[in-house]
Amino acid sequence: MKACKILKAALLPAFIFIFIAAGSGHASDLKEKVLKQKLPNGITVLMLKRHLSPTVSLYIRYRVGAVDETKGESGAAHFLEHIMFKGTTSIGTNDYQAEKALMEEIKNAGRRLDAEKRKGQTADPETLANLSAVLKKLQDEHKKYFLPNEIDRLYTENGGLDMNASTGQDVTSYHVSLPANKIELWARIESDRLLHSVFREFYTERDVVMEERRQRVESDPEGKLYEKFMSAAYTLHPYGRPVLGWTEDLMNLSPDELEKILEKYKDPRNIVIAVVGDIKPEPTLKLIEKYFGGIPPAAEKTESYIPAEPPQTEERRVNVAFDANPSLIIGFRKPNAPAREDYVFDVIETILTRGRTSRLYTTLVIDRQIAQSVSAVNGLPGSRFPNLFALFAQPRHPHSNIELENDILKEIEKLKTQPVSDEELMKAKNHIKMSYLQSLDANADIASILSYYEVLLGDYRYFADYLDNIDKVTAADIRQIAARYLNSNNRTTAFLNKEGG
Amino acid sequence: MDKMISKIYPVFLVGVFLFLMMATVRPSSANQADAARPSPDQLQYEPLFFELPKAHRVVLENGIILYILEDHDLPLVTINAFVKTGSMHDPAGKEGTAELTAQVMRTGGTTRLSSREIDRQFDLIAASASIAMAMESAHVGFSVLTTHLDKGLDLLSQILIHPVFEQGKLELARQLQLEEIRRIKDDPQKLAMREFSRLIYHQDPRGRFPSSASLTEIKRDDLTAFHSRFFLPNNIMFAVSGDITKEKAVEKIKQYFGGWNPKNSATDFPAPVQQPQTGMYFIEKDIPQSTIISGQFATGKNHPDFHAFTVLDFIVGSGGFPSRIMSTVRNNEGLAYSAGSFYRARPDYGIFGSYAFTKTSSTMKALSLINTVLENIKAVPVAGQELTWAQKSINDGFLFSFATPEQIVRQQMTIEYEKLPPDFLTSYREKINRVTVQDLHHAAVKYLDQTKNTVLILGDGKNPDHPLPPGGYTVIAPID
Repeated sequence: MKACKILKAALLPAFIFIFIAAGSGHASDLKEKVLKQKLPNGITVLMLKRHLSPTVSLYIRYRVGAVDETKGESGAAHFLEHIMFKGTTSIGTNDYQAEKALMEEIKNAGRRLDAEKRKGQTADPETLANLSAVLKKLQDEHKKYFLPNEIDRLYTENGGLDMNASTGQDVTSYHVSLPANKIELWARIESDRLLHSVFREFYTERDVVMEERRQRVESDPEGKLYEKFMSAAYTLHPYGRPVLGWTEDLMNLSPDELEKILEKYKDPRNIVIAVVGDIKPEPTLKLIEKYFGGIPPAAEKTESYIPAEPPQTEERRVNVAFDANPSLIIGFRKPNAPAREDYVFDVIETILTRGRTSRLYTTLVIDRQIAQSVSAVNGLPGSRFPNLFALFAQPRHPHSNIELENDILKEIEKLKTQPVSDEELMKAKNHIKMSYLQSLDANADIASILSYYEVLLGDYRYFADYLDNIDKVTAADIRQIAARYLNSNNRTTAFLNKEGG
Repeated sequence: MDKMISKIYPVFLVGVFLFLMMATVRPSSANQADAARPSPDQLQYEPLFFELPKAHRVVLENGIILYILEDHDLPLVTINAFVKTGSMHDPAGKEGTAELTAQVMRTGGTTRLSSREIDRQFDLIAASASIAMAMESAHVGFSVLTTHLDKGLDLLSQILIHPVFEQGKLELARQLQLEEIRRIKDDPQKLAMREFSRLIYHQDPRGRFPSSASLTEIKRDDLTAFHSRFFLPNNIMFAVSGDITKEKAVEKIKQYFGGWNPKNSATDFPAPVQQPQTGMYFIEKDIPQSTIISGQFATGKNHPDFHAFTVLDFIVGSGGFPSRIMSTVRNNEGLAYSAGSFYRARPDYGIFGSYAFTKTSSTMKALSLINTVLENIKAVPVAGQELTWAQKSINDGFLFSFATPEQIVRQQMTIEYEKLPPDFLTSYREKINRVTVQDLHHAAVKYLDQTKNTVLILGDGKNPDHPLPPGGYTVIAPID
């Protein structure tokens, strides 16, 4: 095997310096093509014309996420995102006034039931049964006054596709793609659910979120490991809390906690809209202004107090027992984008795990054959605050997490001591450029990226300038940054095993 | 009523679609309006015109069928190719041969370059190249920067035409597959879906899956044989899209694939035998959430019932929140985050199934709610409004099948690959619109027969919350 490799290598044509020029002509002139407008109240609108098909992709993002939750109310931001599909005072109602009174009663009944449940062992079974019956009766009564799923119906019936929403630590996003002539429908719905949302079916939806947690965390070894890993890596900062919320917090959430998050959405400085597709910018902007222009500008920035994570001084380790094959996560703390270090970590991520010839894939999967998979992700779990460079790997039977960890750490040490070759650096940059170009293919992807960086960093041009910044990364940068950040006292390691060891 | 006029020229490729989205007045008073907030159902929209880009079809001398669509937005060329093959052709006792063939074609070197060199050269130009084996086809995915088109095509043609299946790489792929089999058990949905397929495709080659025993039996010669039986120029279709002209695409494919020699190949696949293991099955797994999958054979794309069944499936459970299973199991009862139905239509048959993932204690309740939905749609005619909602949603969403050149050219190739009538896409919307309440009833009665159902539950059978019916189920052991 070895001999064969050397022989073949000697016969190779000179094929070393291939530089992918992504510079001129094509999609990289984003800065000239994207139209950025601020409404008088402070909402940012990004528009990009693309006439390939008569469709448009729409994103609205709020700079509000799980990190903005109050301690003890984890899961509120994600739960709110679910509830935002339940309609508004004018969408989905037969008689809003009747609903309003009933929903107040439902809230009170739900509170009393939650309070009794919190007593645990000492809760009175009869009281529990009575309170549950009262809540059920009110919920059934409420059903007479509303039509469920109206937002979904309106979008799908008008050709909406990929209607979805997501909640992260940093940002909450709502997205849909529509036939290009339906932008007004979007503006009507999104502005209305921002300003006049109604929290219908609250307690039933809370059960749905509990099922989501069972599906994504309690029944999924990877989900479980990720949650434990993050809570070890962050001890004080809310990045350590799961976006889905801790079970104990989740089962006690009431409409009031969600209302607090929704209030934060309403600061126009927290709102970014992106419209990409077959559009005419002027009428599009007019429509957006018609529906969103009435939102008052906020007096003061409603920034939540978020405690900084104290400096880490020693390695942290956590073991998770789960009846599944072993896997591990290793994470290192580092500065977040747009810090220069973050670009360097994007290159390190690529060198370590992108492609079959990446260092960790070659070493662990192909040569030593101790791993089933290995991947690196720069920038978890968010980017509004200092974050992590993380490595995910699964040992191949009969190998163990500890063997895998040793080999990963050896490769990381090499980054600090031996400079990356020109060929390897070029290869990594080519990979990054290729992914970058591939991400510019569909309207939805472009709208997503533009709105994400605008809401996160206040400027979508981070993305437009991204490749130039990647090009500036040198072998010396990689060595220096690896030496500064990829150390044991900056590291958290989580193992998942059947025995929990 | 929503009026939709499609003016379609005889040839699909030059069709001009005109969507007239008129104001709709719904009978419901649900969406109340005021001056600043007009009812969303009464908004007025400009008409929408859409000219579908034209794809070229070219047949090369050796039988390669080529679909080409230019698009110079990005400096990339993309190829999607379909090969008529699939894991259903695994030799009995050597299940996994198709999968290993695909993997080791990509990773096991060629007559000109070692496996390492192939990897290195693909990575240097950052080309993405993959061969994915499915049950009834293989898909080749390839994407490269225009400037490296020649290099990329040279490498791609080598792995498709002249793979050598290095023994070391076969061993590696085998070991990774064995580990994959171990790890499927950690993923409730994947595990349940594979075991459900085994029950449905009982007595059919499609119901055979790789096991540690079958993987161990596979030799290098098996891969060579599988490759030379199926990977032939007269058995592959290419969809080329991106930064390349039609002339250049033909020239380049000829240059790199023109020397590939055709061979006779018997690749007309018989439809499945359709002798599913019906009844209730159970897999034990100690997790707090049960996975329920229930389903049976349904009609295929070439059958006159196809459009009615598509609408039926949408209403039953694949049409998002308002669809019946989702709205009953999730919205109304809060019993699941994921619940709904799926309809996988092949040209000559289909599989319909419904599913829910729910906590152990509500397993039987969720299953009974699903069954009630299925019985109800047979017994009670679907309301006209619900039918209209489904038709509009399916048809307007259909616009997005043509959102990128890659999708457009791939769609058009798929029509030929699946041997569907040439007007399959052009007549699709009209046929969906023609589905009546009676058609739905007919399709529901014909295809949703509970006695033909295969029901699989994966969950914690030892839990005192009893996720299982009192009796009458078979415990199955997943593949090792």
